[in-house]
Amino acid sequence: MSSDTALRADALGKRFGRRGGWALRDCAFRLPTGRVCAVVGPNGAGKSTLLSLAAGLTAPTEGGLTVLGTSPAKARPRVGHVAQDKPLYPQLTVAETLLMGADLNAGRWDAAVAGHVVKDLDPRARVRTLSGGQRTRVALALALGKRPELLLLDEPMADLDPLARHELMGTLMGQAARHGTTIVLSSHVIAELEDSCDHLLLVAGGRIRLAGEIDELLDAHLRVSGAAAGADLGPHTVVESRVTGRQLTALIRPAGPLAGDWRTTAPSLEELVLAHLRGPGAPNPTEERAA
Amino acid sequence: MVDYRIDRHSGVATYVQIVQQTKQALRLGLLRPGDRLPTAREVVEATAINPNTVLKAYRELEREGLVEARRGLGTFVRRSLGAAPADSPLRAELEEWADRARGAGLERDDVAALFTAVLDKHFQGDPS
Amino acid sequence: MSAVPLTAAPVDRPRQTRWLLRLHRPALYTWAALWLLLAALLVALDGPLLDAAAQGWRQFRDCGMTERCDYDQGAILRYKDCYDYATVALNVLPFLVAAWAGAALTGRELESGTARLAWTQATSPARWLAVRLAVPALGVAVCTGLLSWLHHRAWAAGQGRIDSAKEWYDRFTLHAGGPVVVALALAGLAAGALAGLLLRRTLLALVVGVLVTGVVRGLAELALPHLWPPVTRLSTLDQGFLGDGLVVDQGMVTRSGAHVPPPSCDSTASCEAAYAHFTGRYNTYHPVSHLWGLQLTTTALVLAVAGLLVAGCFLALRRQTGPLRPADD
Repeated sequence: MSSDTALRADALGKRFGRRGGWALRDCAFRLPTGRVCAVVGPNGAGKSTLLSLAAGLTAPTEGGLTVLGTSPAKARPRVGHVAQDKPLYPQLTVAETLLMGADLNAGRWDAAVAGHVVKDLDPRARVRTLSGGQRTRVALALALGKRPELLLLDEPMADLDPLARHELMGTLMGQAARHGTTIVLSSHVIAELEDSCDHLLLVAGGRIRLAGEIDELLDAHLRVSGAAAGADLGPHTVVESRVTGRQLTALIRPAGPLAGDWRTTAPSLEELVLAHLRGPGAPNPTEERAA
Repeated sequence: MVDYRIDRHSGVATYVQIVQQTKQALRLGLLRPGDRLPTAREVVEATAINPNTVLKAYRELEREGLVEARRGLGTFVRRSLGAAPADSPLRAELEEWADRARGAGLERDDVAALFTAVLDKHFQGDPS
Repeated sequence: MSAVPLTAAPVDRPRQTRWLLRLHRPALYTWAALWLLLAALLVALDGPLLDAAAQGWRQFRDCGMTERCDYDQGAILRYKDCYDYATVALNVLPFLVAAWAGAALTGRELESGTARLAWTQATSPARWLAVRLAVPALGVAVCTGLLSWLHHRAWAAGQGRIDSAKEWYDRFTLHAGGPVVVALALAGLAAGALAGLLLRRTLLALVVGVLVTGVVRGLAELALPHLWPPVTRLSTLDQGFLGDGLVVDQGMVTRSGAHVPPPSCDSTASCEAAYAHFTGRYNTYHPVSHLWGLQLTTTALVLAVAGLLVAGCFLALRRQTGPLRPADD
């Protein structure tokens, strides 16, 4: 397995319980190292399950997942994970929590990085007395302190105010710039990730709907509008189309030059994601390319 | 040193904003040949944007011959842009003119319209 | 149990034990207090309480059949109560361990999600579980071992001095003053931990852990008499059953030498008719000399069950998180 792949899934599936529904099914994608990847999708789409699988917290039911060129269990020391509910030991103080991180990650702990993330917190404060945002900081400090090569963050910004969100995102981006850390962030708010991420995994209904470099995905799509009468989008893949009065607007993946009288604009990331969530029939361009 | 400010709602691609703001700083003399641009890490820590976006903007500036990357040292300004540094006589004259326009009772929008009209007349066809 | 010093030594092996002890400091203090209390009681049962009660019994015996007897009844009752409390406490100990050491240890971490926090550090889930089983197991073995030794000492000291002292085969005494209670406590720890891993809820795991421990205890009680060859003594019909100890089986011997259960009869005539077929009685039992044989074999059996429960813990963890050791895949 090449070392330039941070995550690679092949026919990955996870079912909870023997008769439970599939949380993830038939997932195949590749995330190169050094990327900041947004895992986007509605609530309950399977984002947390995907991150749990990558962190080696959950065993897949079928298929395989390669993390940093090896198995999730072997990659464990090189992977950081922050779960959505930010679990921490409530009875420890902030300082003790970081000391525990140093002890449990002996040999790779970076106290300076961890300390920087919680610099505004009272080190003697017990975790149980902290606010949601402060707990997020401590959890992130633990994850960053182990100097991970791959950082998996499940809805990391949910509890943070806009200022703290910006500051933490800055810290994360700094980490990526300095160490080339691959960062995977899940969120159901796309706008929150648009400037920070360069790779996208769109998950819905337990399946990967769109995967790839954000720039390439945007370049591959067009928003077109024109007269609905006699409209023919012929050879192009229509992700989503809507008719309002006499006008037809559509998000398409052009297969070649566009024939006819169309006004075209480049879609925003949010438009692209929403169109793919609403138009479930559209095939994943990355899958096609791989085929 | 230059501080990049990213406007999420401007509709201008983030890397283009960095390129434009660097050029602006070069024009105003805030950046001069030999100056070091902030490292990607410094920029992303302040702006929370993707590091690859910064690198893309710097590559664009390098392609235009404005800056050069020196391995392990950083990205440095090679040449300046325009001839109107912040303290040039031209700027002093413009300040004086703006002062007179205000004294004559013109609103901000009036001045801007007037200035744009003159710019358009004199720099017709030039790239912006 | 002192406070964790606030410095991290530069070591390359993850130091889990230190944090396990730190995380459960309040529980450790509670266990230590309970242990000290029980140990003090057992020491007193072998000392002042025993002396006072023995003195009381001596006075009682000296009275003979006189109408008025002046003896220290209070001391006798106090000794009896304290012995009963200490014996019951030791019998209950495995259940306490199952609930508050086993179930709470894993169930709470899985319920609150801190287990996942621990598993995403550089240590594997298997190591996490191993430390969570081995450290308490060591503590439980040493502490319970000391208590059961103290109990046995106290019981032995009372023999011959206290007229109402329990026999060795008294159900609760037997399960308090020997290695069986240590094995039961270890099985309780494993049962609680397994319940916590499977159910992922503290309270539920606590209840199930206690129930499973109850089942193990019941099995141990049922199996114990059969784990060492008993002694059978025959007697004539005029004699009663011969031999004193833990009875395995009693009944009648027929003319052909077969052993059958005593017949039921409700009148002199029917009883005489029923007993006419028998030549004598038999008593299959364990004399006191079998005490350690029975204790050790039952201990081995319970430890084997504990081992199975521990294996179950690792299997449950493996089902959840995938291969436990990197080499497994």
